[in-house]
Amino acid sequence: MAEGVISMTPPPVPRELERPPLVLRQRSLGWISDHIAGIAEGKAPLWWWCAFVPSFLMFLLLIAMLAYQISTGVGVWGNHHPTMWGWDIINFVWWIGIGHAGTLISAILFLLRQRWRTAVNRAAEAMTIFAVMCAGIYPAVHVGRVWFDWYLFPIPNSNGIWPQFRSPLMWDVFAVSTYFTVSVLFWYMGLIPDLAVMRDRAKTRLRQIVYGLLALGWTGGNRQWTNYEKAYLILAGLSTPLVLSVHSIVSLDFAVSQLPGWHTTIFPPYFVAGAIFSGFGMVLTLLVPLRKLCHLEDIITMRHIDVMCKVTLATGSIVGYAYAMEFFIAWYSGSPYERFAFLNRALGPYWWGYWLMLICNVAVPQLFWFRSVRQNLWLVFVISILVNVGMWFERFVIIVISLHREFLPANWGYYMPTWVDVATFLGTFGLFFTMFLLFMRFLPMIAISEVKGVTPQADPHHPLGGAKPKGGGHG
Amino acid sequence: MKTLPPPCPEPESGRLYWRSLDQLARTPEFQQWLEREFPEGASEWQDPVSRRHFMRIMSASFLLAGLGLAGSGCRRPEERLMPFAQHPEGYVHGRPEYYATAMPTRTGALPLVVKAHEGRPIKIEGNDRYPDGNGGTDRWAQASILNLYDPDRARRITHQGQTVPRQEGLDFLTGLAGELENRRGRGLAILAEPGTSPSRARLRRELQARWPEAGWYEHDPLDLAVHRRAASLAFGRPVQPRFRFDRARVVVSLDCDFLGTEDDAFQHIRRFSQSRKLEKPEDTISRLYVLEALLTLTGAQADHRLRLPASQIGAAALVLARSCGVQGLPEVPTEGLWLAWLEECAKDLVAHRGRCLVVAGHRQPMAVHVLAHAMNHALGAVGETLELVPAEPASEDGLAPLAQALRQGQVDTLVILGANPVYTAPADLDWPEAQQKARLVVRLGYAEDETFPLCHWHFPLAHYLESWGDARTSDGAYLAVQPLIQPLFGGISELEFLARLQGRAVTSPYEIVRETFQAEVRPANFEEEWKHFLHDGFRGGPAASLGRLALQESAVRQAVALVTLPKPGPDRLEVIWHRDHSLDDGRYANNGWLQELPDPITKITWDNAVLMSWRTARDLGVKNSELVEITLGGRTVRGPAWVQPGMADYVLGLALGYGRERAGRVGRRVGFNGYALRPGGHPHFAVGATVKGTGRNYVLACTQDHWSLEGRPIIREANLEQFRKHPDFVKRLDLHPPPVVASLYPNPLDREKERALHQWGMSIDLNACVGCSACVIACQSENNIPIVGKDQVRRGREMHWMRIDRYYAGPPERQKDKSVWRREEHQWRESWIEQVQVVMQPMLCQHCEAAPCENVCPVNATVHDHEGLNVMVYNRCVGTRYCSNNCPYKVRRFNFFDYNKRPLDGLYKGPFARRPQEELDLVKLVKNPDVTVRMRGVMEKCTYCIQRIEQAKIARKVQARDSGAVEVPDGTFTTACAQACPAGAIVFGNVADPNSRVSRLKRQLRDYTVLEFLNIKPRTTYLARIRNPNPAMPDYYEMPLTLAEYTARSGDPFAAGHGGSGARGHATGAHAPAGGH
Repeated sequence: MAEGVISMTPPPVPRELERPPLVLRQRSLGWISDHIAGIAEGKAPLWWWCAFVPSFLMFLLLIAMLAYQISTGVGVWGNHHPTMWGWDIINFVWWIGIGHAGTLISAILFLLRQRWRTAVNRAAEAMTIFAVMCAGIYPAVHVGRVWFDWYLFPIPNSNGIWPQFRSPLMWDVFAVSTYFTVSVLFWYMGLIPDLAVMRDRAKTRLRQIVYGLLALGWTGGNRQWTNYEKAYLILAGLSTPLVLSVHSIVSLDFAVSQLPGWHTTIFPPYFVAGAIFSGFGMVLTLLVPLRKLCHLEDIITMRHIDVMCKVTLATGSIVGYAYAMEFFIAWYSGSPYERFAFLNRALGPYWWGYWLMLICNVAVPQLFWFRSVRQNLWLVFVISILVNVGMWFERFVIIVISLHREFLPANWGYYMPTWVDVATFLGTFGLFFTMFLLFMRFLPMIAISEVKGVTPQADPHHPLGGAKPKGGGHG
Repeated sequence: MKTLPPPCPEPESGRLYWRSLDQLARTPEFQQWLEREFPEGASEWQDPVSRRHFMRIMSASFLLAGLGLAGSGCRRPEERLMPFAQHPEGYVHGRPEYYATAMPTRTGALPLVVKAHEGRPIKIEGNDRYPDGNGGTDRWAQASILNLYDPDRARRITHQGQTVPRQEGLDFLTGLAGELENRRGRGLAILAEPGTSPSRARLRRELQARWPEAGWYEHDPLDLAVHRRAASLAFGRPVQPRFRFDRARVVVSLDCDFLGTEDDAFQHIRRFSQSRKLEKPEDTISRLYVLEALLTLTGAQADHRLRLPASQIGAAALVLARSCGVQGLPEVPTEGLWLAWLEECAKDLVAHRGRCLVVAGHRQPMAVHVLAHAMNHALGAVGETLELVPAEPASEDGLAPLAQALRQGQVDTLVILGANPVYTAPADLDWPEAQQKARLVVRLGYAEDETFPLCHWHFPLAHYLESWGDARTSDGAYLAVQPLIQPLFGGISELEFLARLQGRAVTSPYEIVRETFQAEVRPANFEEEWKHFLHDGFRGGPAASLGRLALQESAVRQAVALVTLPKPGPDRLEVIWHRDHSLDDGRYANNGWLQELPDPITKITWDNAVLMSWRTARDLGVKNSELVEITLGGRTVRGPAWVQPGMADYVLGLALGYGRERAGRVGRRVGFNGYALRPGGHPHFAVGATVKGTGRNYVLACTQDHWSLEGRPIIREANLEQFRKHPDFVKRLDLHPPPVVASLYPNPLDREKERALHQWGMSIDLNACVGCSACVIACQSENNIPIVGKDQVRRGREMHWMRIDRYYAGPPERQKDKSVWRREEHQWRESWIEQVQVVMQPMLCQHCEAAPCENVCPVNATVHDHEGLNVMVYNRCVGTRYCSNNCPYKVRRFNFFDYNKRPLDGLYKGPFARRPQEELDLVKLVKNPDVTVRMRGVMEKCTYCIQRIEQAKIARKVQARDSGAVEVPDGTFTTACAQACPAGAIVFGNVADPNSRVSRLKRQLRDYTVLEFLNIKPRTTYLARIRNPNPAMPDYYEMPLTLAEYTARSGDPFAAGHGGSGARGHATGAHAPAGGH
């Protein structure tokens, strides 16, 4: 490489076109490696233990609750006649929805060359995987006879009985398992270069072996990078339709039925938008505090927060439009049963659930129109939580309010969860946070190699790019 | 060591046979061949010591293996094999047997045919050979089979509470008989329940002839025999009234719940619904006027209903009687009576002279009964719609005189036959104290109940399915009571007990019944006719009517003088003690099926409540389901308030039979005890109670929370005139039909339909159904449906495959408050519930041809068969419950817990709670072996009794042999619900056969489909209800109130252009916008 004098004067860029850099304070590449890998090395900070111990206890609670439910019966939950699905399916759909942001960020934004994704994609993908794990528990155990779950898989058997391929629950099995598999693969693919970094930095024998095995012999050679980039692109292409398909299919669980309030063709796009909405809400909920706790302000910058707030605002508005359209169609259909179902949402015994949903999902995110709100981390954090509360209530509205009063008034009932429902749900949080905290203790929570690629100095045209600063070491 | 065959003795003489020449020659090779077990070459362990050693080692290892297995808890379930020691003649294993028998009641009996499987009775049906019946029964008969297997039955003979050997008990009876003989029965009092057994009557006569000083008392807390006493009084000779509702065009009920809680309701329902069935618009149907305080099943069927406190029925009856032309009646204060209503009602009665009927309820005083008879007499109904048949004189409730005799020390030995007076005696009688005055109390009881601790000797009573006996229906038909099983716990029948008590030589009930048969019938050929009697279950039929008897005017005048009673008000409430629809007087308290059977009106299970009207609750400041204290005559009971639509104001309804302290594991402390408040003098209602709210809430388990139909055309009804004007009115209520588009996937059933011989379907006539719920219990009994307990019912998890939906409808203009948006608790505060019309609809799996449950099941656990049945495959079900969510009728039921395996109070304890093995063994006996017992986590629902369908098809195939005529002829079998229905409202059959009964019913104009617009093509359809109100009445509504509610929300169905398919849709083929589909 040519040694020469580098002009330190940047080319003139109009101020209005100037974008804030994706890594601030001109952090060097070495700093990035040290800082990110450092989170997963050394002694765990006190706050980590403070978060991990309760999470793990909640995870144990989940195990206890599942054991109780499986050994005793679905009756320990509040599900009843007519509301045969309650918190089990609400939580399933809710977690699945949360699981949407990760793959969207890593796949779709990758294809769209949104470079800002690199700072958040690893954590978001991990969040996706753990959320899908939490979600997957529910359909597996909410059935009456868990030990016959394998009937749902198309396993050839001597009776010649196949699953019912017309059932959306069947499609769910394929959709969710495919999504989970591809998400894990994609995540792992992206981790390989960073695992090599961890291996190279490892100080103990055990870490060397484990990271070494996981890094699959990565050396960072040109050919490896070429193959890696191609594979990553292919996986991104594969994941993209999955982002749209999973929640579309989950929405078909409802849309295929003929229950007023469920039987709606708007469901697939509306569910996908809602899922991305809730996924971004959860990413914000996680990253806003983590950014502070792990001192990642220079990597996860305010610009990142700002962009994610905008995505939340956009998807939240789509969701709001869908709510309005549902009401319009119910009126336009002329069916008294449809009309009743929707009026019952807004005015019926669960009116508070509906209005909570509207406030959290439609009204509150509109605050993101204001830059000052997007820049206020406390507000962003609170709103991101409210988004997930609202999305939980959206599923509550769809499932419980539709079921509790439908065709024959003789069947009407009032659903209430039991303590087991609540404890199981808390337990899934335990699982989620346990996994996430372990993830950040043992794996780099930000894609080191990718972030290096988006540092200002990585740009050959950047005044600092294309060459090593004087006296600087290796990146 | 190998056992050598005993040497076969050589024949001494005669021919010698040999097997081979070797044998003849007796070669050593042959000898060896004979002795060897295995042929030449096979090795044989000849050494006996080694062989024993081997066995020893092997048994030791098996023992160890067994220990290991036992220790790890991995064992096969213990199974006990009970083979026949002697094979009964003609018995084919696996094929059920049917025996005719009868269920005795207090005033009559039900002729029955009972199905037994491998010697255990499992299902009760009405005897359809009985000349005056259709095979229908009632809920009590259907559920009585569960009492047979009740684990809490009395199972032992006790003396002072200690078990004694059976023989000792029998010896005691013999000794007692001797002792009584010595003093000619002095000091003996027998307290029995009223009964109709001719054999018992004969034994009683024998006893009273031998021991003239012995006293015989009969106790029925409900005093159902009042009908007979009243008719006897009014017509001057012992007669039993037979109400011919089938002949009457106008019926007036004076607080008479003849369709619900009167005895013989199943007969009344049959006759009444016969008069309400119609095929064509031109047909006429009867009209029912009801004056009542509580809202009963009869009131639910009324065309005009007047809410009146029970105490005011007498005054109203007097007004009615005067208007009907009964002479010589006193003036009556008419304040508070709706005179216009009564006068128009009377006019209608007069207009239908000879074809009308007035009936009075058993809770009403004698005066009202006599007035009813006077009206019937004046209206020419006697001998026409009111038939009088000769009967034994009826006894009055004899508990009070007996208590008096006890207190006076006249009773030394008290023998109680069956009754439970400690529980059922009026509170002011202080019966327990009186009972203890007797030196010796001997009781024959079905359970060790409240009376048990106060008895010195207690003998277990046999169930009627365990004992020989006989009975008479209330109208005099002679029935046989045949046992189907040996007494399970050594129970003694009433006849045997009486025979032993009086030291009779013949104590076998079988012989006693035969003696009675001989005496009653005097048959020419005894054995032959006896066999016939047992085979048919009856001899002859009901007694013939006595025709038009003359009224005893003086008796009427005397009785009527006491008719006026004080009026109730907010501070002097009227309390009505009524027979419970499920528990009767408390005798069925330990019957889980009946405890869980929703009351047909309130839909409350596992409890009774203090029923009161909306206005009463408002004036008392009582909230619904608040615990209230009722005080009457210094006694107080506490129970939950229940605001009941359509009740008379300032009236409290208390169902009897609850709050039992010693009823067994099911019925103990369920509800509150109404007897504790009941005065002896006026046992059925009393004025002067006060109510105080406690502010505490009490949880009631009600199976239907929402009352209004919300204007939805789910139950369709019209007035008769409307039906005549618009015979297609049911079609006018259809929603716009969805556009006809070709199905993406052709329904495979459509192809099968053309080939299959049978297509099963059902038609339910809402005009005939009165909601008696016999079908619900019949279904439960036939299909092994578990009970789930109060807590689970409260959570909406009852398992009934068939339910009866009950809706209230009020005038729409009074329903302005948009109450529908509130929670169901608000219903009780709405004013429209004051005066309501009631509609009932049996709801069960509709067996949709395009069943929405099927395509959403991910594991193919619910599928369609080629005969149109929506089949549930329990083995395959994993329990996603999606099918239930997608079922618009919500008729699928999910096993949230192991209801069969776990005790009801241990459902939440999971594997840590098990029912005791002996309880499980006993409960197992009642199960129908043709129906799977479902485990937890499995969805279940009505199968149209598929086991009966298959049995009928197999029987037909066997019969057809090579002829190929394997189509099951119409009417050879039916579902359990249809069979039990006394109204004949449910008809099941083959819709592929255009001449079957069900096909003909489905072609009727009134036939409609619930939620037809979903296009799921249910196989169960309904026949709309037709009301027959009198336009001259002041409470006449132009249309039934459910239809008025519909009109208020969806527009006038009779206006031109209304309705999806009526006049417009099909004719023009116009594609209306798809509604809600």
